[in-house]
Amino acid sequence: MTPVAALLILASLVAFIAGQLLLKHAMATELRGPRFYWYFGTGVVAMTFSFFVTLGLLQTFDLSYLYPFQGLSVIMITLLAAVILKEALSLRLVLGASLISIGVVLVSLS
Amino acid sequence: MRKIFLHPWFQLALSILCVTASELFLKRGVMAAPRLGQAWNWTGVSGLASPLVWAGIAFVIISFVSWLYVLRFIPLTIAFPLSQFVHVLIPLCSWLVLHEKISLVRGSGILLVVAGICVVAQPVARLEEKL
Repeated sequence: MTPVAALLILASLVAFIAGQLLLKHAMATELRGPRFYWYFGTGVVAMTFSFFVTLGLLQTFDLSYLYPFQGLSVIMITLLAAVILKEALSLRLVLGASLISIGVVLVSLS
Repeated sequence: MRKIFLHPWFQLALSILCVTASELFLKRGVMAAPRLGQAWNWTGVSGLASPLVWAGIAFVIISFVSWLYVLRFIPLTIAFPLSQFVHVLIPLCSWLVLHEKISLVRGSGILLVVAGICVVAQPVARLEEKL
């Protein structure tokens, strides 16, 4: 893996996570307010960016190589939703999200 | 009926089912579609020639809309882990419908995802009372 590829994988992961958080934040605010459009718009842009970077990476790498990085998004989104969006977090949720993250990595490895 | 349809948990299930359906339709569709020259083949645009791909796109749109609805009511710390049930459904449906194989590693991954979802879903009953 070249440094450029590593950077692209990281960029696509960060954009996906940011996109989910932005969309959640948008849907939790007053719909059709100015803040809604701002969060929703940037959320869609982030998801679209992540989609096309992933598409480009798929040209070079196997799906089974790229998908485990998506598995990381489960635990990352759970933790960041608690930190940034101030959602309630329990040890139980962290444990569940960790199991799912490992599971998704295993599903996509083979 | 309307009450069930507008229920966030119903919409979460709908979103998961639509993601699974979309993947199966897209896979079936692009396999049936004609191939373009090497310069354009990677984009997958030739898939648009297949009606199955359009069905797949329709399912993507439905899943996105119902996911937005879910986000309005369910915290991301719960909704996102539960949405990963697609990683159980897609391999199982690929096995049933597309006759793809499930390796031992993939099978154990599926079991881990199910276990994780059970762990996350347990406190959901308490959240349910608030909805």
